[in-house]
Amino acid sequence: MPAQPLISTRHLTIRFGGHVAVDRVSLDIEPFTLKSIIGPNGAGKTTFFNLLSGQYRPTEGRVYFKGVDVTRLTAAARTRLGIGRSFQLTNIFPSLPVLENVRLAVQAQRRMGLKVWRHSRRFPELEDRAYEILETVLLQSKWNALASELAHGEKRKLELGILLALEAEVLLLDEPTAGMSLEEVPTIIGLIEAIKHRRDTTILLVEHKIDMVLALSDSIAVLKDGRLIADGTPEAISRSPEVQAAYFGGGATGA
Amino acid sequence: MTSDGPSAAPTPVQASRILEREARFRQPTLYLRLALTAAFALAPVLLPSFQLMDLMLKIALFATLVASYDVVIGYTGIVSFGHAMFFGFGAYAVGLSLGKFGAPTYGYLALAFALGVLVSAALALVIGAFSLRVKALFFAMITLAFAEYALILAVQLSHLTGGEDGISPKLPGVFAVSFTAGKVLGVDVNGRVVTYYVVLVVCLALFLTMSRFVHSPLGRTLQAIRDNEQRAEALGYRTFIFQLISSSFGSVVAAVLGGCYAMWVRYVNPESALSIQIMLDVLLMVIIGGMGTLYGGIIGAAVLLTARTLLPDLRAVGTLMFPGSEILQRLTERWLLYFGILFILVVFFFPKGVIGTVREVLSRRNAAR
Repeated sequence: MPAQPLISTRHLTIRFGGHVAVDRVSLDIEPFTLKSIIGPNGAGKTTFFNLLSGQYRPTEGRVYFKGVDVTRLTAAARTRLGIGRSFQLTNIFPSLPVLENVRLAVQAQRRMGLKVWRHSRRFPELEDRAYEILETVLLQSKWNALASELAHGEKRKLELGILLALEAEVLLLDEPTAGMSLEEVPTIIGLIEAIKHRRDTTILLVEHKIDMVLALSDSIAVLKDGRLIADGTPEAISRSPEVQAAYFGGGATGA
Repeated sequence: MTSDGPSAAPTPVQASRILEREARFRQPTLYLRLALTAAFALAPVLLPSFQLMDLMLKIALFATLVASYDVVIGYTGIVSFGHAMFFGFGAYAVGLSLGKFGAPTYGYLALAFALGVLVSAALALVIGAFSLRVKALFFAMITLAFAEYALILAVQLSHLTGGEDGISPKLPGVFAVSFTAGKVLGVDVNGRVVTYYVVLVVCLALFLTMSRFVHSPLGRTLQAIRDNEQRAEALGYRTFIFQLISSSFGSVVAAVLGGCYAMWVRYVNPESALSIQIMLDVLLMVIIGGMGTLYGGIIGAAVLLTARTLLPDLRAVGTLMFPGSEILQRLTERWLLYFGILFILVVFFFPKGVIGTVREVLSRRNAAR
């Protein structure tokens, strides 16, 4: 008997005007696995993420988290339940220091955001935990810098750090290596691998770098024109003729 | 790891915390703040002129009002044009309670402040609940509409508010003009002086409260929301609740200050308590001083109010110095023009306001070291 899936979608659909961006997608994500979602540009991957994290409300269909219907919950409520997400375009607090970016996430996770009677520096445990996380994402030397002053790759690391601070059960990673230089990519892959090997977090990954996806994933789902066209192990997916035509084929014809 | 115990070397964060704690009595800004407080406290003793004492207390009042606006616009990123309206509510509460419906007693004075605060908090919550969820521009327009409406009401309901003429409340006991308690340090301790000190203490207390507010975990969350609302939401913060708390808090502080203002000038009318001109002044002051600095209000209020008090005197100076030259006398008459030039220069040389720009330069210099 497989365990109950951590996240399930049933007939998840969203329409923007006449355009169906996500079309009746039913997908299960097993706990403590890493599932990748691939597909050509415009396949609806990020939109699907937005439906899972609550940024968008679906036109039809349901989202379940641990068997509970969360379709109507806001993004903030889903984060409090344990669904943390990163964004394709770097999404940090640019005018705040690096440490403060992570500290705010730790503060959110510990539900201490409404405390008003004491100076925020009087909660050293939040700062210390934030610094620990900066060490994990190899950003500790920049703790004092403003987030806006970081290089692009460092900003992605910071985003991952913010996400780790939430101690979410599910991490939705939307192209964590987008726009990164080649030297920076292995650090991020190493970080994702480290999280995966802890076996306490479920990761959903949208990524274009196909070798990275094949190496990291336990299973891969393929979206095309908003529809789920395949879902299986990396081996099965890379052999599937349908996927070859829809996804890998696009690159082959160009070559 | 945190569990390593005291023998482990402190992380840079812990080291900076220890350093900050050790250096907390050696900060130059601490002594600057104490000196400023002393200056305000000694003003009635050192400045025998009532005009200067009046200027000092108005600077303190407006600096605190600007700081409360800064909590909303600078720290939370909510653009409100209704802030002066809450100031007006506080002022009218004192005027109505003491001068119209009640009597000059301490009880009615306390009631006035309670009512001013309650009405402001309630209206701020209602406006926020209906318009904070929508886009920022909408909130700005709604607050402007409410402010205009309050002004019209104050003018039109003249049987209640005294219309354009306003209300001149008498104050009770130690605040009354007739009150005297002899001389202390060569100063007549009269109702004016007592009011000066009470209002000053209220301003100081509000300033300290706001300082704690913006530096608390809640205040930090507000700055996160200002910086990137979507990200804050994705961290799990109910951003709407935080914005509501911030705008209501700012409004309540403004209402208390309005009450203090009415106590000091002993007069409330639409122009002096509710007009858009006050809102514009507060806006100018927060821009001159710097948004998101809290202390910027002191610079902004000092510059604007001093200029407004002293620049009209330029004409007298002009007549005195150039009795023969009509052109030079004419030039000195145009004090608003000079104020405009001053404002442009400040914005040009201090794009983030005086305090904001100075802080930026200092922190850059620290980073370079």
